[in-house]
Amino acid sequence: MSQSLGETRHTRRRFLDLLLGLGAGGWLATVFYPVLRYLTPLPSAGPGGPVKLNPEQVTALAKQSFVIVPALGKRILVFQDAAQKLRALDARCTHEGCTVKFVPGESVIWCACHNGRFDLDGRVISGPPPRPLAQYLAHQDAEGGVVVTPQQA
Amino acid sequence: MSNGDTRGSLLRWLDERYELSPLLAYMRHKEVPVGAHPMVWYYLGGATLFFFLVQVATGVLLLMYYQPGEATSYESIRYIATKVPFGWLVRAIHCWSAHLMIVSLVIHMFSTMLLKAYRPPRELTWLTGFALFGIALGFGFSGYLLPWNELSFFATSVGTDSVKSVPVIGHWLLLVMRGGEDVTIHTLYRFFAAHVVILPVACFALVGVHLLFIQRQGMAPPLHGASGRKGMPFFPNFALRDLLLWLVCLTGLASLAVLLPYGPSLPGMEWELGAKADPLAPAYPGIKPEWYFLWIYQLLKEFPPHLFGLEGPELCLLVVGLLMGFWAMIPWLDRSARRNRPSPAFTDVGFAAIYFLTFLTLKAADLGVAVVPTTPEETAVVAKVCAAVTIALAAGATMLRVGLYDHDWFVLSTAALVHVALHGLLGWDYLEAGAACAAAAALIVAAGALRRSSSSSPGASS
Repeated sequence: MSQSLGETRHTRRRFLDLLLGLGAGGWLATVFYPVLRYLTPLPSAGPGGPVKLNPEQVTALAKQSFVIVPALGKRILVFQDAAQKLRALDARCTHEGCTVKFVPGESVIWCACHNGRFDLDGRVISGPPPRPLAQYLAHQDAEGGVVVTPQQA
Repeated sequence: MSNGDTRGSLLRWLDERYELSPLLAYMRHKEVPVGAHPMVWYYLGGATLFFFLVQVATGVLLLMYYQPGEATSYESIRYIATKVPFGWLVRAIHCWSAHLMIVSLVIHMFSTMLLKAYRPPRELTWLTGFALFGIALGFGFSGYLLPWNELSFFATSVGTDSVKSVPVIGHWLLLVMRGGEDVTIHTLYRFFAAHVVILPVACFALVGVHLLFIQRQGMAPPLHGASGRKGMPFFPNFALRDLLLWLVCLTGLASLAVLLPYGPSLPGMEWELGAKADPLAPAYPGIKPEWYFLWIYQLLKEFPPHLFGLEGPELCLLVVGLLMGFWAMIPWLDRSARRNRPSPAFTDVGFAAIYFLTFLTLKAADLGVAVVPTTPEETAVVAKVCAAVTIALAAGATMLRVGLYDHDWFVLSTAALVHVALHGLLGWDYLEAGAACAAAAALIVAAGALRRSSSSSPGASS
């Protein structure tokens, strides 16, 4: 008799502990959920359509054969290859996120941080980058301006 | 009334209200073990605390002028360094003290590890110390970005990018750390909050717990039992020695800050302001993190793009995570030291870790070439010079170990050195050489354990 009473008590105690645990868990969730949401930044509202380079960026492109522009919510490397063709690649190295540059003399895209090399289509030639750089379309419009479009080439 | 009477009556007045007598009696009885190994190892925790307190004081002074913001961060630091009277000195002391704090912390951690002070009942002192090491690295990493200059911008880009390799929540962690997809001024705001509020609060709390443990348990006695000599009273004998060391540290710090206000110009240990950060500029050669992150920076370089179905950085993070986990769990893994017996294998783990870190750090610092190496030939020269230097340093350390401490177990440290030699001197791939040496060391250790269990001779090998 007393044993079964003890068992009942034990079960009740366990049930109450469970309720208490659930309550504490729920309380913690209500405290931390808003904090975690608060810390999560909103998605950047960059322009989604084609982006035209401003005169300063066009000058920089002509002067050093490449320019890095903020477009499509990313950093885009726009450069002119040996055949004077305009090209655009994601400027963020796929290894550790450094900003790459175009080396006109060697016709390669190079990341100085860990010596990663890509060809002009963004494919990895050497070094530690695990993936190619995303390609974008860049072209000259009717007025001679340079336009980068979100469509991946 | 004489001074002594005044002090006595003040003490009595306080004692009547706060019952100080038990506390004073406790302080009088507390002793520091003397004799088994040089006392110097007992002072390093105190020196680390001193440098941390200097950081708090100079940090508060810097806060009086520093303004976080795209148009103000770099400018306000330049203003502090060039216009504010003694601003250069406050900044120089803050930078020097930061580096010296990490130096003393690292030596403190390795001395604790090699002397087995982590063994029961001090496991949690080791764990809180390890957490404090993590916080110190967090201080360094977050503070590095605050001047918003080119070097810090790229170092932070690389450093934060590696968290994306954390399984499941990696991308979310990256967003929370950076305040967006890329490193922007929002990243600086978050790092600023971490550097001046979150980390200091966490640090004070953990230092409090760490010191409470040490006060309750006393400093770890030597592994081989009592030396037979009487301990040194903590108060006033040891405390006054500690204070004297703090004075020496302060003098050294001030001298360094005055003579070399922008650092010793060693890789990862200089704080010239340089150019302002430009998020749209390409990275340039020679970008390196601070010296205590150089080994991870180099390890990231050694991993191929893909291995075992994972991307190089993911696998690298996994390896670093496992090594850190092993390091944190040492008090539980070292079963000989738990039973107060010598554990030569874990002493050798400490030396293997030192050689592993030394080689990677030297290689990341491009030791042996005048320019940043870009070709495989230049990289091979760096690897060769770094391997030779590491092996020479290790030879010196081994002679000391044999001559002074009678060490006779060198399996893991030898494996670490063979790894360095195969890679640096013979040109093997770093990871392949590492895997071969780790496998060989594991075989030797397993064979030794088997031999011991079959001969059923109790105790450790030495």
